[in-house]
Amino acid sequence: MLRPPPERTPGERGPPLKRLRLLFQVAFVAAVAVTGIRFALGSSLTSVEKYCPFGGLETAYALLTRSRFTCAAGELNLALFLSVIALALVARKAFCGWVCPLGAVLEWTGRLSRKLFRRSSFRGPWPVPPRVDAALKIGLRVVVLGAVLAATWTTGELLFRGYDPYYVLFSAHGHDVKAWSYAILAAVLGLAIVFPLSWCRWLCPLGTVLWPFSSAGALRLSRSGKSCTGCGSCDRACPQQIPVSRLDVVRTGECTLCLECTESCPAPGALSLRLPGRAS
Amino acid sequence: MKVPGWSVPALVVLLALAGLGGARLFAVPSVVVDLPAAATGATRTTVLVVDGVKCVDTAERAAGQVKGLTGVSRFVAYASRNRVEVTFDPAVSSSSKIVEAIEGPVHDAATGEYLFHVYHVVEIDGAKVPTGPPATTGP
Repeated sequence: MLRPPPERTPGERGPPLKRLRLLFQVAFVAAVAVTGIRFALGSSLTSVEKYCPFGGLETAYALLTRSRFTCAAGELNLALFLSVIALALVARKAFCGWVCPLGAVLEWTGRLSRKLFRRSSFRGPWPVPPRVDAALKIGLRVVVLGAVLAATWTTGELLFRGYDPYYVLFSAHGHDVKAWSYAILAAVLGLAIVFPLSWCRWLCPLGTVLWPFSSAGALRLSRSGKSCTGCGSCDRACPQQIPVSRLDVVRTGECTLCLECTESCPAPGALSLRLPGRAS
Repeated sequence: MKVPGWSVPALVVLLALAGLGGARLFAVPSVVVDLPAAATGATRTTVLVVDGVKCVDTAERAAGQVKGLTGVSRFVAYASRNRVEVTFDPAVSSSSKIVEAIEGPVHDAATGEYLFHVYHVVEIDGAKVPTGPPATTGP
């Protein structure tokens, strides 16, 4: 049974994390877009590929077997990949929720979808049954990751560059971008309207790699049964469609720690961010 | 233990900076070529940023451009950073000669033709090379 949420006292809400996260997302999208445009105009030698953490995994095999980096990927990709893994071990998929420029664009597309279809959550006009969602999350993502890594590791070339929505979107018509690359990007964005954040949930190869590390992530959202009114605001606010109101602790590797749930929660103290250890 | 929400963006910033700053730790040369240099005197290394050096193949081609130069003893390229380090005997060669050789026409072994404007040096020892129309010389 729903209980009315208690009144929040001024200052109890803490820092405006929602606005801060939007600021992070806009800053990273702008930085990558400017990098892509500058490279395309010839005023910089740094392409958007150099800031892709997944490139670090793509080049790791060449580094281990041939002591050299895969074409177009290098030490910056590797260092960023390792730091994203380290971040996942502490703050789960915070990279996806706070940094990833493609993730930001897809989340904004998901918000547009909510407005277009007048939905209160990110479930889209045709909610996917949980079993199908789980199958796509596990099966499809693993297939995509396996195909990308197998092709890159055997050829030493970034063969999927022309298919990569991040590269197509931000490279300002970079190398290997053809007409069909834009068709794929349009399909990913179109899919994000109908099934919000479908790329992130069902296809993103970096998200698949991060998943086991994120599942073991130290920071976790905890729900207090005493304070929670069961209003479901957290479920509706979660871009990853995690049923927060039905969990005591959010352990899933899909959590991006975007903190939309804590920000939307009307009951003070119902949701909190915690490290394992002594209760306080 | 309860953790404040701002710890998430703080961790993101910290690890982003660690990733950007720690890249040098993983630097691996794409190409290392030791050349037989006749000079026995002191050597100097010039560091160039070369537009066109972007992978192992293009770095190997750039190494081929300086192979014929006397006094050059070592060529190292870091393709992911477009960085080239050339060690030479300053009594015999110079940075400008090396830049000239790298920017010169490239022989394409597959077609037998010469390719122009393949490489362009944009930075020499940390100093940007001014771009713009070539300087006109007097008669």
